[in-house]
Amino acid sequence: MSETWIRRLNAFQLLLVIALILLPIVWMVVSSFKPSAQVTAYPPTLIFTPVLDNYRQLFSTTPFGSYLVNSIVITVGSTLLGLLFGVPGAFATSWSRVNWPATVTLAARMAPGALFLLPWYIMFRTFGMIGSYSAMILAHAVITMPVIIWVMLPYFDNVPRSVLESAQVDGCHVPEILWRIALPMVLPGLVVSSILAFVFSWNYFLFALILTNQSTKTLIAASFNFIGEGATYWGALMAAATIIAIPPIILAFVVQRWLVSGLVMGAVKG
Amino acid sequence: MASIRMKGIVKKFGDLTVIPRLDLEIQDKEFVVFVGPSGCGKSTLLRIIAGLEKVNEGDLYIGDERVNDLPAARRDIAMVFQDYALYPHMTVRKNMAFALERRGMPKAEVDARIRRAAEILHIEPYMDRKPKALSGGQRQRVAMGRAMVRNPKVFLFDEPLSNLDAKLRAEVRTEIKALSQTLQTTMIFVTHDQVEAMTMADRIVILKDGMVQQVGGPEEVYRNPVNQFVAGFIGSPTMNFFTAARCDGGLRLADGTKVPIGGKQAAALDRRSEAQVVLGVRPEHLRLAQGGDGSFEVTVNVVEPLGSDTLCYFDFEGSRHVARLDPERPVHAGERIRFSFDTARSHVFAGGDGRCVF
Ligand SMILES: Nc1ncnc2c1ncn2[C@@H]1O[C@H](COP(=O)(O)OP(=O)(O)OP(=O)(O)O)[C@@H](O)[C@H]1O
Ligand SMILES: [Mg+2]
Repeated sequence: MSETWIRRLNAFQLLLVIALILLPIVWMVVSSFKPSAQVTAYPPTLIFTPVLDNYRQLFSTTPFGSYLVNSIVITVGSTLLGLLFGVPGAFATSWSRVNWPATVTLAARMAPGALFLLPWYIMFRTFGMIGSYSAMILAHAVITMPVIIWVMLPYFDNVPRSVLESAQVDGCHVPEILWRIALPMVLPGLVVSSILAFVFSWNYFLFALILTNQSTKTLIAASFNFIGEGATYWGALMAAATIIAIPPIILAFVVQRWLVSGLVMGAVKG
Repeated sequence: MASIRMKGIVKKFGDLTVIPRLDLEIQDKEFVVFVGPSGCGKSTLLRIIAGLEKVNEGDLYIGDERVNDLPAARRDIAMVFQDYALYPHMTVRKNMAFALERRGMPKAEVDARIRRAAEILHIEPYMDRKPKALSGGQRQRVAMGRAMVRNPKVFLFDEPLSNLDAKLRAEVRTEIKALSQTLQTTMIFVTHDQVEAMTMADRIVILKDGMVQQVGGPEEVYRNPVNQFVAGFIGSPTMNFFTAARCDGGLRLADGTKVPIGGKQAAALDRRSEAQVVLGVRPEHLRLAQGGDGSFEVTVNVVEPLGSDTLCYFDFEGSRHVARLDPERPVHAGERIRFSFDTARSHVFAGGDGRCVF
């Protein structure tokens, strides 16, 4: 392919990113600071005095603060749960080279979430767990655990086997090898997978629609409801969306710093 | 401190049989060296002893205990891996202290042991560095140090000197030997390098294709190799092999030279039925000759003066041979020179299986 064509394709790709991703985000953030009357104005007003009306409305007319707390509790809880099972799971998969359990979790993650809705609704209702944090944390572990397993797996695979065997010969039992030898060597992976799990769980709204009640509803599920309630709250919706987007965007910047890292170097001959 | 006993060990990786059937006893406090060509199963055997590989058949005893089912962590063995296997997130000091600290050894004792090992291995200047910041040779010494501080029942070394320069290699070699004498611990040392094997071992185990060819002291395997493989593997430069046919009163080389053989050796030869045999002669057992029975003339190709003696390479009937000569006798490439065999110290190997006839 000629140089010019490559340059044109690059430009096209850039344009696509700007139009589809950056523009809506900018539009969302900007709109959230507009007076309500101007939010849906067409053509959009570009010059206006930023106001916090939408944010005030959001917090005064809805229990937005408690949604925020719910989201944090459920996301942090499900990320921790995912780590608790996913990290040893990934380590065991890498160590034993038995892949199928990890594949099953991946398949569960790939399946449409709607598949789980009915069985879970019945299960959790039977145990009286509908509307509880624990039900949501368990459900979201289906999001977090596969991410953690599959992001961690190549990191664990990269740990030289002889280093782990060295630890065995030095007297370590397997949990100790994971905790004291392998885990410090895959810290970048741990950071990356935790962040991805956190973001995916944070953004997931389907399970919250049926497993939560008013007091455990998550941010994202709550704002989804705003849309359903008609066009009255566009400004508030933009404000909500902006707040929801802040943690993932910050984490995206954190994660890319960790993606490239060579902690394993120096263990073996190389 | 313990003896090691292997009885009928069989090891397969899938369809690949790496160790067909192996019996071996290693005495308490013995320094044993495994040598053999690449891929013959030396590392596999070490890993079996360490508990990192399970055997398909057979019994392994450390001391009086059958350890087939004892996990590596509980065998109290220290091992230096072929690729060092240092803990990359720990400093050199931490690497060495790790096994001791996790057993709850008092700090003073840990420090004393580390200091001593660091001194022996000349690694004091970088005790606080991470492995990443060390050269290959330095890493190798740290790996040695990590094993040394352990005071285990058995030491296993998998080619621990391969990355050191010649001087350091000789130094560490002597240190390991000295260490084995002071620690009085059973040690198994794997190497490609037969000089290492000869200089360090109480006994040498020569392996080929997962089978023990010969076990014996350095002198013994050098003087009395059981077969042509051992004869060719031990000794540097390697033994010269001449194909020969049996004839009345001795052997006839490919060029027609008759090598007279008498006495006990002739009797041993007579007990064999093969017409074709291989005559094996070490470089130092080729003698300069003026002429006469059993001598042959060749052209010198290459001369390597080593100082203490001179190596003199020549071609004979299509293969390369080498003689070790007195440096007082000047030789130069291109010179015609006449050799005869010191038959009393030569060997004859059966043509088929390579077994030593004498
Ligand atoms: N995990 C494994 N799976 C399959 N085959 C293996 C495995 N480990 C070793 N082998 C094979 O077993 C044989 C012996 O290997 P081993 O590493 O013991 O040789 P070695 O004598 O230590 O060689 P080197 O001197 O090159 O280190 C080789 O043919 C090797 O390919
Ligand atoms: Mg090896």
